[in-house]
Amino acid sequence: MTMTYLIQAENLSYKINEKKLFQNISFEVNANSALHITGSNGSGKTTLLRIILGISKPTRGSIETNLTSDMCYLGHKNALKQYLTVEDNLILQSIQHNKPLDTLLKDIDLYDKLDVVVSNLSFGQQKKIALLKVFLNESELLVLDEPCVGLDGKAQTFLTSFLQEELGKNKSIIFSSHINLNIDAKSINLDN
Amino acid sequence: MNILYFEFLKLRKKSRGWLGPILVFILIMTAFPLTVEFLNEDLEQAFFSILWIAVLLVMMLATEDIFLEDFNDGSLEQLVIHTESLSFVIGVKILIYWALIGIPVSVIGSIYCLGITSSYEMALLIFPVLLISSYIFLNLFCFGNSLTLTKGSVLGTLITMPLLLPLLVVLGKVVIAINLGLNYFDFLILLLGVLSIIIVTIPLIISFVIRAHLE
Repeated sequence: MTMTYLIQAENLSYKINEKKLFQNISFEVNANSALHITGSNGSGKTTLLRIILGISKPTRGSIETNLTSDMCYLGHKNALKQYLTVEDNLILQSIQHNKPLDTLLKDIDLYDKLDVVVSNLSFGQQKKIALLKVFLNESELLVLDEPCVGLDGKAQTFLTSFLQEELGKNKSIIFSSHINLNIDAKSINLDN
Repeated sequence: MNILYFEFLKLRKKSRGWLGPILVFILIMTAFPLTVEFLNEDLEQAFFSILWIAVLLVMMLATEDIFLEDFNDGSLEQLVIHTESLSFVIGVKILIYWALIGIPVSVIGSIYCLGITSSYEMALLIFPVLLISSYIFLNLFCFGNSLTLTKGSVLGTLITMPLLLPLLVVLGKVVIAINLGLNYFDFLILLLGVLSIIIVTIPLIISFVIRAHLE
């Protein structure tokens, strides 16, 4: 039986001002699988994720997607409105996840913060709110750029278990991280 | 529906974003009589020129950072990757700005018109023109600001200005038409025609410009 891919990239290369960021990167992401993108600072991890998302175009190579729903993306920027409350920031998320919002808020120690304006939260707490959007998302592909930055140990453990759980629900994950997330994932290194 | 409410909430919570331009409009319209002779005829002569320029300035102020905030906090990236049309969201955004700034400015402008001209008819006829022109101004300034998303709004305004000049000419002619009792509805239909083209094309163009910025 041939496995259908969600993302298939062939010989991706990217140049900025004639400087090669990465070249000839090929990979395939199937359902229920994870891809860990590693590399030193400035190796092009974020750029590769943006190419996967369709925001940027590769200098060479091709990328094909076979998705039936939107991708869910968490980038370096949290896409949170600083002057709105946590609850207001979640308006665009369809709260239909199996796990109720209250439970998720408890899991990441933000249960009493729903009415708090985002600018009054710490960087780590804001990161957790951004992750909460990921937790509430029903996309079949999660794309996470350095999801552990700013998270405490408990939140990192929760994130790992959440991602492992999602993999079992026919979902796929592509993430870049300097921290090993302890989930079953293929790995590509952009330094090579 | 959620996106409509979210955009409304975003602007409403930023009182600087919507109340500021309205207050500037009130300030201009209240202050200008102080700078001319206190004869009603003199005020009437200058009123409509000041009105159109004030509406234009206020719409320029209102749209100064309409996309910049979303660009800086990563919201635009999120919009681009979701299948919901980016141009639709941009259209919604402009509509909300018009609802919270354009409509109040049009109402206040009509009240000032009544105060200066003492003519209910004039105030009633000017109101729809104000509504339409403020929406067109908003769209055009949004286009200019999207072109210079990361380069500041001054350059965007300069780029937009040539597009606004023909509209200012038409607005001047509308006042003459009302005063002479001629062709008012023809001008209104012309303005509606321009608006109906702009309302569809500008969000579409802006969506391409934003995609290019993000790339």
